[in-house]
Amino acid sequence: MTTWLIAHNTFRETTRDRLLAGAIAAGVALLAVTQLLSPLAMGEGRRLTIDLGLSGISWLGLLVVLLVGTSLVAKELERRTIFNLLSRPISRPGYLVGKWAGLSATLWLVVLSMGLALCVLLALRGDGAFVPGVIQNVLLAGLELMVMTSIAVMCSALSTPVLSALYTLGFFIVGQWSYDLRGFAEGAPALLRGLLEVTADLAPNLPLFNARTLAAGGHLTTLAHLGLATAYAAVYSGCVLGLAAAAFESRDFK
Amino acid sequence: MHGSEEGVAGRPAAGHAPADRPAGGETPDVAVRCTGLTKLYRDPWTLKVTRGLEDLDLEVRRGEVMGYLGPNGAGKTTTLKLLTGLHKPTRGGAWIFGESIETTSSRRRIGFLPEQPYFYDYLTGMEYLELAGRLSGLQGRESRDRARAWMGRVGLGAAESRGLRKYSKGMLQRLGLAAALIHGPDLLLLDEPMSGLDPLGRRDVRDLLLEQRERGVTVLFSSHILPDVEMLCDRVAIVLQGRLSRVARVGELVEDGPQRVEIRCEGQPVVALPVTLSRIERPAETAFVLEQGERLDEVLRWLIEAGVRVRAVTPQRSSLEDLYVQAAQSGIERPLREGRQA
Repeated sequence: MTTWLIAHNTFRETTRDRLLAGAIAAGVALLAVTQLLSPLAMGEGRRLTIDLGLSGISWLGLLVVLLVGTSLVAKELERRTIFNLLSRPISRPGYLVGKWAGLSATLWLVVLSMGLALCVLLALRGDGAFVPGVIQNVLLAGLELMVMTSIAVMCSALSTPVLSALYTLGFFIVGQWSYDLRGFAEGAPALLRGLLEVTADLAPNLPLFNARTLAAGGHLTTLAHLGLATAYAAVYSGCVLGLAAAAFESRDFK
Repeated sequence: MHGSEEGVAGRPAAGHAPADRPAGGETPDVAVRCTGLTKLYRDPWTLKVTRGLEDLDLEVRRGEVMGYLGPNGAGKTTTLKLLTGLHKPTRGGAWIFGESIETTSSRRRIGFLPEQPYFYDYLTGMEYLELAGRLSGLQGRESRDRARAWMGRVGLGAAESRGLRKYSKGMLQRLGLAAALIHGPDLLLLDEPMSGLDPLGRRDVRDLLLEQRERGVTVLFSSHILPDVEMLCDRVAIVLQGRLSRVARVGELVEDGPQRVEIRCEGQPVVALPVTLSRIERPAETAFVLEQGERLDEVLRWLIEAGVRVRAVTPQRSSLEDLYVQAAQSGIERPLREGRQA
């Protein structure tokens, strides 16, 4: 129950942040730009709209994670508002999960709003047949952002907002390249190979949440892929939050 | 009540948690029990260890108001943070109504006001209080009703839908107190509850605490405003440099202090003063202050024989402030002496 209350309060906090309105406005502006660029795309206007639209959703979501998520707990520690919460019968793991769930809900709001705008735009362009693929990718983007939020909350619980943002960005970059890292590891010397493989294993497997090329081509990904991505997001986020909770448990709040 | 109230650190006495008593388990007359409660801070870079609190043995009885005194950095806030789970003890333990402070449920019956409380500035006063109530276990409607009632009770009724970023420091302090009280806790832990309040605000808080005492709520609060402590508390505990220095009833502390007597005389008599008398010149009179009250007869006789016209003789109680300063000074001097001997 208290976890739900923390989540609700975090949702309220992040949705009242002007940054969120700015992110949504920027997303809508990006969609408008795709339409201005469409005539220059030599018949690839639809591909441009879908590619840029879906990428915009992911990137703006990531921006919210970096700007809001990485200071979510650190700000409470800095401003000492956490005293008012954790001096009540609230467990520390419950608090972290609540923070993660609240920001995840906000990100779903961002992703779904922008996804809806993209679907409406495609329908207006007469490309309604591509909407199911876009919906699938919007769901994958939401799952990807849940994973990134868990990393942001972990970093935020253990470090300052600036360092948390840098660490989270680092996880994102390594996560995006996790397949390339594995490929690179195959031809590397033994020690480096081990290091690269461990890094690729620990980093989030973010390419799993990317089916944008399929959507732009009018194809759908499989339900098995969606199911795997959902399970992966749940397990990875759970592990990261578990680690964060273990480290947070023994922390003294100054 | 225990027979003798006093004790000094390192020598368990009544008022301190007896070492031979089982630590856990609910004891009907004890709200808070600390046994060897210690908090040491280690700097992660230099590995230097700083003492926040050491071997605190303390009992706060149900229904009593205990003042927790000490200079800045003495360990008052550390103690309250340990009791509320914001800090983890290095060793020792503490129990609140028989439940270890290591458990989340031990905080169910606590109302805590941190020093200089900070709030979410994106919430309104009403939203914050409602959230505080719900986090302490109240249901939605009950929490809303109580929040509205407490907003009025602490004089913030007109500001209930105003954003907290527009609240003054005094308003925030009152809101913090309402948040500590909204769920009807059995134990109030207040860190400097009067700080930032004007005289009227202080009076309101005093009244609120007295009201809670009448309801049987146990209160442990730290403060630097000693007249308030003297007025509100049944007992005080003085902590110095992380160690409990003294626990006593306020009256007992004051009675134990030097019994001074002020002798007011007409005019400015020219007399040779014995060493035990100090002299204060006022516009139409002179006051002689006798530090040892038991020599009053002798001194009065001496003054009258010297032709001095005595107007009034007034016994002067030591204030808690005098006693606190004495205790603080002796507490600071003791480690210095120990250091020199070492």
